[in-house]
Amino acid sequence: MQIMERTEIILNDLCKAFSFLEGHANIQRQRRIFAEIPDEKRASIKEILRYLRDNMKFTFLCTITGLDIGDNFQVIYHLADDGGILINLKILTPRSKPVIESVTSVFEGAVFYERELKDLLGIEVNGLPPGRRYPLPDGWPEGQYPLRKDWHQAEEEGAEKKS
Amino acid sequence: MALFKKIMTWARVKSPWIIHFNTGACNACDIEILASLTPRYDLERFGILLKGTPRHADVLVCSGPVTLQTKDRLIRIYEQMAEPKFVVAVGTCACSGGAFQGCYCVRGGIDSVIPVSAYIPGCPVRPEAIIDGVVKLLGSLKS
Amino acid sequence: MAKVVVPIGPQHPALKEPASFTLFLEGERVAAANVALGYNHRGVEKACEQRTYIQDIYLIERVCGICSHSHSTAFIQAVEEIAALEIHKRAAYIRSVIGELERIHSHLLWLGVAGHELGFDTLFMYSWRDREIVMDLLAMLTGNRVNYGINTIGGVRRDIVKEQADETLKAVDVLEERTKYYIKVATEESTLIARLANVGKLSKEDVVRFGATGPTARAAGIGKDIRHDDPYAAYTDVTFNVITDDHADVLGRTIVRVKELMESYSIIRQLLKKMPDGPISVKAPRKIPEGEAVSRYEAPRGEDFHYVRGNGSEKPERVKVRAPTLANLAAISHMIEGGYLADVPIVIAAIDPCFSCTDRMLSINGLDKGMESLMDWESLRNYSIEWYKTNRGIDMNKINALR
Repeated sequence: MQIMERTEIILNDLCKAFSFLEGHANIQRQRRIFAEIPDEKRASIKEILRYLRDNMKFTFLCTITGLDIGDNFQVIYHLADDGGILINLKILTPRSKPVIESVTSVFEGAVFYERELKDLLGIEVNGLPPGRRYPLPDGWPEGQYPLRKDWHQAEEEGAEKKS
Repeated sequence: MALFKKIMTWARVKSPWIIHFNTGACNACDIEILASLTPRYDLERFGILLKGTPRHADVLVCSGPVTLQTKDRLIRIYEQMAEPKFVVAVGTCACSGGAFQGCYCVRGGIDSVIPVSAYIPGCPVRPEAIIDGVVKLLGSLKS
Repeated sequence: MAKVVVPIGPQHPALKEPASFTLFLEGERVAAANVALGYNHRGVEKACEQRTYIQDIYLIERVCGICSHSHSTAFIQAVEEIAALEIHKRAAYIRSVIGELERIHSHLLWLGVAGHELGFDTLFMYSWRDREIVMDLLAMLTGNRVNYGINTIGGVRRDIVKEQADETLKAVDVLEERTKYYIKVATEESTLIARLANVGKLSKEDVVRFGATGPTARAAGIGKDIRHDDPYAAYTDVTFNVITDDHADVLGRTIVRVKELMESYSIIRQLLKKMPDGPISVKAPRKIPEGEAVSRYEAPRGEDFHYVRGNGSEKPERVKVRAPTLANLAAISHMIEGGYLADVPIVIAAIDPCFSCTDRMLSINGLDKGMESLMDWESLRNYSIEWYKTNRGIDMNKINALR
């Protein structure tokens, strides 16, 4: 079977299982599917990940990417199957109160990636297993999130600025 | 006292004990330091011995830019060494912060934290340059 | 439980060091292990947003001084994809040749480091001697032993001329002969096998559960290899075997790496023989359009994952780097738990971790003795070598003298 064909079949299966993704998921090129989960369905991310893992053989969580896009933070879950197909699932969480649910119950390896979201962007992760912070050093000041677009070096040196 | 000093210098120059510390390097310089101990480059023919503890070391060989996490440990290691002691900054990052200058977890080169006796730039430093730098340091110790 | 801090190594007695590994012992066995890293965090992703794409190539190369080309190529592939830039085949071939040479030097490096951890220093000296052949090749082809700077947006910066290709092929012949010795040692040397077998077990199920990648996964029979599963650069034009092993332990990880070397020699020969003519780079824009791309690369340690987002300017909006060691880290606790303290150095070394030796401070807690001590890596290594000599009769000095 051609790779593009396989990619299309996977996209169709994904949208059939989760109808709210219809119109929000697309093929960027062969082996690359991107999907934006509508805000009101944000909480279903864990369910989607579990479904992909158990029913569609997407057993590998490559990583989780967090981005500061202004009014919101965007969180992208990158999942791969054995055939080299990648599904990239995006959710948004508001800057005013950024909170997501931990997916470590589905992918244990998510723990380091979620700790990065917490440390570098200040996104709260409910259900994140306890453990030392990663990757910032222990003495790093509270409320300073380096990957936020409005965070600048000077703030770290103690200047009082809004994060 | 002058004779004692001469003997100590001779002993130090003949067989300096080195401790190696990585303060946040990408490992390239560390590997070149290790490589310079292998037979092809053979730093050991100069009597240089790699030691595990700072208490017995004469020379602290540092690689990497100083990260916020390693700053305190670097200072502690330096303080534990007995005088006279020497610090060699191996690699461009150790000299100045290198490619990581300005990164939020990087303080700068080694000399932003402790005094440095010799700078060996390179990204990474070739084993020949490490040997050259160490031999030059030994030469200056003689005087 | 009374806790006594007994520091061993270069730290002040009164100050507690943050440990990279915290181990809880019951007798000589590890009951529980926590892993916490971050010494090497410098802030590269943020810095990438503040520099141009070209400057970022040089920064990203230096994320890791062993697989710098992996990071550089993974990054540039994502950028080229966003810019809809197609590089010429010749450039793809050159990237792959350098990539395979990097894999060879990395695996030989690992072999030496593993040997050193076990007290098998002869292996360290031999493999690093052979590794120098590869370093010479890389210096000849790229101008540097590490951090090759060969990539640019749109291709590569240096060509491989016939004389260099001939040199490379000659060197590959020598390396292949030497590698046969390493394969023999890994598969037939009983002292080494006794030392490595059943150590650091990670089953197929656990590889999937924890998301391990690279030789660590392939040693459990899982044939995952990005060069095969999601090919990039010139890998669609060459044939090679994805090496797997069924031991699912440190011995398996050793066997996979030495056999992979043979595949790399074959790939390089194919690439140099079939290298197409053409320009080594195409003109690339300085401003990269809005868009995003995901790039995966089979680094020596496993999957290197990059995500890049462009915003139409000369600087990226976001660069995300997930090095293979981070993916393998989740499995480490599991591999150490239930095993002996004496196995810890080689189990950690066997995932081929990309963090420096001096960062590996360990906090050892004796649950039954109520004692807590801080150990540096060197001390644990020595403990491990002694333990195996005393308790298992495995003395590396027996094979250090061989050959």
